[in-house]
Amino acid sequence: MTDNGAMQRFRRTVHAAAWAAALGNALLVVVWATTGGGTFWPKWVILATALVIGVGWWIETVDREPRVRVLLRGRGLALHAGFSVLLALFMIGVWLCSGLGYFWPAWVILALGLAVAAHAALERSVRDEQLQERVEELTVSRAGAVDAAEAQLRRIERDLHDGAQARLVALGMNIGLAEQQLGKDPERAAEHLAEARTAASEALKELRDLARGIHPPILADRGLGPAISALAVHAAIPVSVGIELPGRPPAAVETAAYFVAAEALANALKHAEASRIDVDVHERGDALVVRVLDDGRGGASEENGGLHGLRQRVEALDGSLRIASPEGGPTVIEAVLPCGR
Amino acid sequence: MRAVIAEDLALLRDGLTRLLRDNGIEVVDAVDNGDALVHAVLREEPDIAIVDIRLPPTFRDEGLRAAIEVRERRPETAVLIVSQYVEQAYARELLADGRGGVGYLLKDRVMDVDAFVDAVRRVAGGGTALDPEVVANFVGRGHDRLERLTPREREVLALMAEGRSNASIADALVLTVGAVEKHVASILQKLQLPPSEDTHRRVLAVLAYLEETL
Repeated sequence: MTDNGAMQRFRRTVHAAAWAAALGNALLVVVWATTGGGTFWPKWVILATALVIGVGWWIETVDREPRVRVLLRGRGLALHAGFSVLLALFMIGVWLCSGLGYFWPAWVILALGLAVAAHAALERSVRDEQLQERVEELTVSRAGAVDAAEAQLRRIERDLHDGAQARLVALGMNIGLAEQQLGKDPERAAEHLAEARTAASEALKELRDLARGIHPPILADRGLGPAISALAVHAAIPVSVGIELPGRPPAAVETAAYFVAAEALANALKHAEASRIDVDVHERGDALVVRVLDDGRGGASEENGGLHGLRQRVEALDGSLRIASPEGGPTVIEAVLPCGR
Repeated sequence: MRAVIAEDLALLRDGLTRLLRDNGIEVVDAVDNGDALVHAVLREEPDIAIVDIRLPPTFRDEGLRAAIEVRERRPETAVLIVSQYVEQAYARELLADGRGGVGYLLKDRVMDVDAFVDAVRRVAGGGTALDPEVVANFVGRGHDRLERLTPREREVLALMAEGRSNASIADALVLTVGAVEKHVASILQKLQLPPSEDTHRRVLAVLAYLEETL
């Protein structure tokens, strides 16, 4: 079975087939009885259908066992086919040993073959449906990711243009002026140089803030725990940070997780009037879960551009974002990010 | 005074070397990575190591790690970290041994040459020089042990953390030196720091501040 969806359909099919076989066989028995009895020929059909249904029933039963399910993942059809072949060989063996009469195993083999073919068709259709859904999902999330990246680049360009670039122009201008005044009026020159230095400091500060917004240095240096703790230090209300990670997740996941925590924290601090905030990061299966809870007044929505941007960021990594924020609070923002390990 | 510099960008390494030499500080070695820094310090035995946080090979916090190693292997070496960004957590790691002779400044501060050279000399002399950005979040935030301090005392503590002398704090807050001395005494007492040499207690006070805010 490729996954639960395929298994559920397989199970339904087996049940339907069992009922159909029971009815059909009963009908055959009736036909046999009304046509005057004699050799009990429906036994071949009953044998064949019982074997086919038995195989299906056996597969769906062992699949309920979690450890078997792990082993079976994606191999249900192979198991079905293999078991059917074994059964067919066994039948042929019985036929060989019982004196090579009428080749009755043909009926059983036909039925087993049809069942395997039906199973293969079912798996293929489930897989096609899943692929189709996945393509739709990816189309949406990729468009979102492109939009988000585009918006971010535009913002960075604007920040550079209005900030550091403008400061550097002012800096160059002031140095030029100072150069001009150096011989004539050293005092004026010194003033221009002081202004140039101020412009340089401001440009540096703006570049630093910009760099931090793209990828905070402490995140690269130390990972999620210290980076989120550093965010909490800057908060004006108590923030409890609980982080349990066995190792460092992939860089893209780590960055997205950081920005989920940063944005959710910033929202809670700005709008929620909360008295405390909990940030929790842990692994669930092979995904990273980031959960930010505040006891504020709730009502957070994605109309707020930041949260929408977060969703795009999370979905670009095939993750999901859940925002629960009823009026009156509390607000829970939870991102689940697959780590692909 | 003798200094060793660790900075991977040649432009900044040369600039820093020239700036220090022009101000009467001898630069005995200028290296571009953490291992070379440790070797240079053990070989040259300088008064101070001036270290960039981000160094090869991974460009993360090698400089900080190398600086901490320097402090372990040759404790009398003062260390001044310069970086494009500041993190309180790093400042705390640097100060963790509570011995002073430690500084952590934004590279921007190099532009105010006099103040920067002053900071180098202060750190080499066993004092501290924490960037105002490190202490920026200090004033106005409630933390258990710091709750006991008055707002004025917190302001004084923030300036102490920058490594300023009482006279300089008095200037900044428009107070008399006597008033600042009183505040400092009150801070040290409220933070329950044991009586010892003044510089050392000031370092401990800064460390207390960093511990409370993390």
